[in-house]
Amino acid sequence: MLGSFAVGKTSLVRRFVESIYSDVYQTTVGVKVDKKNVQVNGADLTLVLWDIYGEDDYQKMRWTYLRGASGYLLVAEGTRKATIDKAVSLEQRVREEVGVIPFVFALNKCDLLQDWEVDSAVEAQLADKGWNTLRSSAKTGEGVEEAFCLLARKMLG
Amino acid sequence: MGSSPRHSRDPLEFRPKPSDRPAPEPEEPPREADDVQAYRELRELILAPEQEALEHLRQRVDDPASRTEDVGSVVAEAIQLRRKQGGDEALSSALAPTIETALRESVRKDPGTLADALFPVMGPAIRRSILETLRAFLESFNQILDQSLSIKGLKWRLEALRTGRSFTEVALLHSLVFRVEQVFLIHKKTGLSLGHAVAPSVAMQDPSLVSGMLSAIQDFVRDSFHTAQGQGLTRMNVGDLDVGIEEGPYAILACVIRGVAPRTLRDRMAEVLENIHRDYAEQLDRFKGDSAPFAKVNTELGRCLELRYKEEAQPRGFGFVYATAAILFLLVAGWLTWSTIQYRRWDRLVNTFREQPGFVITSFGRQGGKFIVHGMRDPLASDPEKIIGASDVNRIDGEFHWGSYYALDDAIVQQRATALLSPPPTATFAVKNGVLHVSGTARAIWVKELQAKALLVPGIHALELGPELDPDRLTSNQAKSEIENTLVKFPLASATLSSSEQTGLHKLAEDARALLKSADNLRENVTFEVIGHTDSTGAEASNEDLSRRRADRVVQELSRLGIPGRVLSPRGAGTSEPLRKEDSETNRQYNRSVNVRVTSVAH
Repeated sequence: MLGSFAVGKTSLVRRFVESIYSDVYQTTVGVKVDKKNVQVNGADLTLVLWDIYGEDDYQKMRWTYLRGASGYLLVAEGTRKATIDKAVSLEQRVREEVGVIPFVFALNKCDLLQDWEVDSAVEAQLADKGWNTLRSSAKTGEGVEEAFCLLARKMLG
Repeated sequence: MGSSPRHSRDPLEFRPKPSDRPAPEPEEPPREADDVQAYRELRELILAPEQEALEHLRQRVDDPASRTEDVGSVVAEAIQLRRKQGGDEALSSALAPTIETALRESVRKDPGTLADALFPVMGPAIRRSILETLRAFLESFNQILDQSLSIKGLKWRLEALRTGRSFTEVALLHSLVFRVEQVFLIHKKTGLSLGHAVAPSVAMQDPSLVSGMLSAIQDFVRDSFHTAQGQGLTRMNVGDLDVGIEEGPYAILACVIRGVAPRTLRDRMAEVLENIHRDYAEQLDRFKGDSAPFAKVNTELGRCLELRYKEEAQPRGFGFVYATAAILFLLVAGWLTWSTIQYRRWDRLVNTFREQPGFVITSFGRQGGKFIVHGMRDPLASDPEKIIGASDVNRIDGEFHWGSYYALDDAIVQQRATALLSPPPTATFAVKNGVLHVSGTARAIWVKELQAKALLVPGIHALELGPELDPDRLTSNQAKSEIENTLVKFPLASATLSSSEQTGLHKLAEDARALLKSADNLRENVTFEVIGHTDSTGAEASNEDLSRRRADRVVQELSRLGIPGRVLSPRGAGTSEPLRKEDSETNRQYNRSVNVRVTSVAH
C-alpha cells in the first residue's frame, strides 16, 4: 500500500481483510502486515499486504519495504489533489528503486464525491499514462474488492 | 578497427587469381572471347586489391579463432565503454546468471578456492559468531554458579564424569529448559513464507503475517541502524519467548523458542538453513511467490523442533550412576571401616606394649599399607612376638623395629637384680621406686656381697635389707647357733678335758667372741650359761658335783681363751637335763658333756 498520509491505505486494508471501517484516524507507524486469501481466475492466491506508513514531510519512505514486492496499490484521495501529485512521484520512485512492477491506482474516498478537488479529466489523464485507475471508498466498501482483485490479476500477469 | 589491407599491399603488384565471388559486374561485352579475356584481366587489374581485401575480411569473419582473437582484444575496453555510457545495470543483470552459475560450479568443483578468496570476509563473521557464543555463555554462567554447589550440581558433575563432557557443558544443557514452538522459513527478498513447522499443541501464528512482519522488522533495523551487510537482527525476546533468527543468502530461518535455548539450537538452525540452501538453491533464486516447490521443506524445518533437552533419557543413565555411586560408596565405606578396625587393633597392640614393662614405643604409623612400630626393648622384657601373637592383629601387616635399653620399671629392675645378685631361696627381692628391698634370711657372706654389688645393678639406687638380714644379727644368730650346737665331751666319771676337745673349745671361744662383738653392735647383753652334764651311772650326789666341775672346767678354759668371766655362768645339771636318752653307750657318752646356752637381752 503506497500513498500520501491519511489517504486511507490502512482503512482500505481493513475493509478488504476484515470488512470493518472506523472513522477514527490512526497514523500507521512503520509497517503493518496483513494477508487475505483471494481467488483469481480460479486459482487460490494469498495476498500479503504491507501497509506502509504514508509519506509526509516528517516520515520519508523506506524503500527497503518495497524490496521483493510483487505489486502495489497506489492510493490517493479525491478530496486532496496534492495526493495525486504525490502518487505520481511515488510511482516514479518505485520504478527507479524497484523496477517496473504491477500496480493499481485507487482514488479513495469516493463517498465524499461532493468535496472532491479532482475531476474526471485528471482521471482520464492518468488513464492515458496507462494507469489502471478506479474509485474506491473504504467507508462504503465501493471499489475495494475490485481494486485488490485487479491488482492480483495484474500480478499474476 | 583492423587495418585496411588496401594500405598494406602494393597496389602495383598483380597476381591473377580466380574468383568465383560475384563482383560488382559491369556490362559484359558479348562477342569476342579475347574481349572477354581482356575485360577480365582489366577487371582483375583494377579490382584485385579490393577483392583480396574482401577475401581477407571474409576469412576473418568466418574463422572462429580469429574472431575470438578480435573480441578478446577489445572486450575489456568494450565493458568499460559500456559502463561509461551508463548501461551498468543491463550489463550486470546480463552477466549475473553466468557469474552465479560459474561460482556455483566453482564451489561444486573445489570449495577451497572460493573459501580462500572469501577468507578475509569470513574472519569478521567468525569473530562475531564467537562473540555471540561468549555472550550466551555468560548469560547462563550466573545460573550455573548458583547451582554448582547443590545436589543437582553434584549430579551434573557425576554426569560430566560419566559422559566425558565438561561440567560447564552439562550444566548448561540442564539449566536450559526450552522448547522450540514454531519454525518459519522466510524468503529473504520478498518476505514471504516458504515453510512453517509447529510443535504439537502450540497456538500457531499465520506464517504469512509473521514472515512479513519479521522481514519488515529486519528491514527496519537495518535501515535504522545502518548495519553492515549480513548483520541483522539475530534475536528478539518477548517475555518467555525468544525468536532466534538465522539468515542465509536467500532465506531466513526464524525459531520461536520458549525458555532459554542453548547454543546447540543455533548450530542446528544454521545446519537446517544450510541444508535448505543446498537442496533448494534454484527454487530460492527463482521464487516469485509460489511456495509449491517448498512443500517438503517442513520436514527439514521440523528438525529444529526436535531439539530439546531430553530429560526422560536421564533416569536410565542416572540409575547406572546411582548404582556405581552406591557400590563405590559401599566399597569406600567398607574399606574405611576395615581400615579403621585394623588401625584400632594395631593401636591397641601398641598400647599393650606401652603398658608392658621393658618397652618404650617411640613411633607408630602407617606407611605404604603397613603399620610401622619403632621402639626400645629391655633384654629382660617379655618376648614381643608372644605379645603380638596374643593380640588380634595380622602379624604380616606390620613391622617392628626394636632398640635395646635398660628399663627402669621396678618389675624389670627386680628381674635384673635377681639375675645379677642370685639371692638364696630364703631371701626375697622387691623393687619399689628403684629401691631394692630384701627380706627373708640369707647367709651373712651373701649379704655382704649383696651390699657391695646391689647398687651396681642399673635401676637400683638404694638397698634396704630386712631386719633378719642385718649382718650383726646374722653373725649373732649364726654364732649363737654354733655355740649352742657345740658339745664338749668328757671321759667317764672325769672332769678332765681330753686334748681332742681343744679344737672344739677354740671354735667355741671364737664363736663366743663373734657373738659378743655383734651383740655389742646390736646393743644386747649376752650371757653364756655353761651347763655340765653326767650320765645316769653313779650316785646322784657325785654326779651333780661332777657336772659342776665339768662346767667349771669349760668356763676356766673359755676364760683362758679370752672370754670375759662375767658373761660365763657355770651350772651343774647332773643327770636332770640329759641331752640324749641313754639307750646306748654312744648316747650315754653324749650325756658326759658340757653345753652352752646363750641368752641375749637388749639393754
